[in-house]
Amino acid sequence: MSASFHLSLRNDVQQILLLEEFMERVATAAGLDPAMTMSLNLALEEAVTNVIMYAYPKGTEGPVDIDATLDGGELCFVLSDSGTPFDPTAAPEADISLGVEERPIGGLGIFLVRKIMDQVTYQYTGGRNTLKMLKKI
Amino acid sequence: MEVKIIEKDNVLTAQLTGRLDTAVSQEVSAALQPLVDQADKTLVLDCKELSYISSSGLRIFLTIRKAAAAKGGKVIIRDINNEIRQVFMMTGFLNLFEIQES
Repeated sequence: MSASFHLSLRNDVQQILLLEEFMERVATAAGLDPAMTMSLNLALEEAVTNVIMYAYPKGTEGPVDIDATLDGGELCFVLSDSGTPFDPTAAPEADISLGVEERPIGGLGIFLVRKIMDQVTYQYTGGRNTLKMLKKI
Repeated sequence: MEVKIIEKDNVLTAQLTGRLDTAVSQEVSAALQPLVDQADKTLVLDCKELSYISSSGLRIFLTIRKAAAAKGGKVIIRDINNEIRQVFMMTGFLNLFEIQES
């Protein structure tokens, strides 16, 4: 089966609260179990948070668009914004083997996106950042 | 998201209820500040009613863990659900914390 979903957000962390309901809609259509739903919600939150926090200059409002497409055994999430060009896939891999003292605070957001999704690709075209995240379900 | 802190016999227990996502992380961080300030004690993060955590929550947990390491205290994470355990596994947090089931 195929279906598509859209959610438009502003660059405000409070908007993260809307992701749960959005993900529930996608999960119901795709017949996902709660564990898969939660991990996709997490990946989506991390990717969206990144855009909300860093895409637009402080104090300016900007949109964050999310499109989810379900096509057979594959779920595709596309995140787009018109902010500063930024490739999150270029971020260095977090070292999760470090101990308490050495472990840096932060840097796990994009790491989780990569861990959870099967494929993550970034593009900057026509003045827009586009992050495409694929998950086989 | 709700945070309730109980102090008993020199142990500080924070009961976390709900979803710890980026939208609430600032207020949760502020609510858990007493644990950072008293990180020479035994600190318990009671996650029985915690349904979800994202990296913003992991950041708070790690801050508390680092404070305890610096001040000689101890952090126990109690009753995480399977989904949160999965997140701990993916991020190596299982190795950083003592995790207990009640």
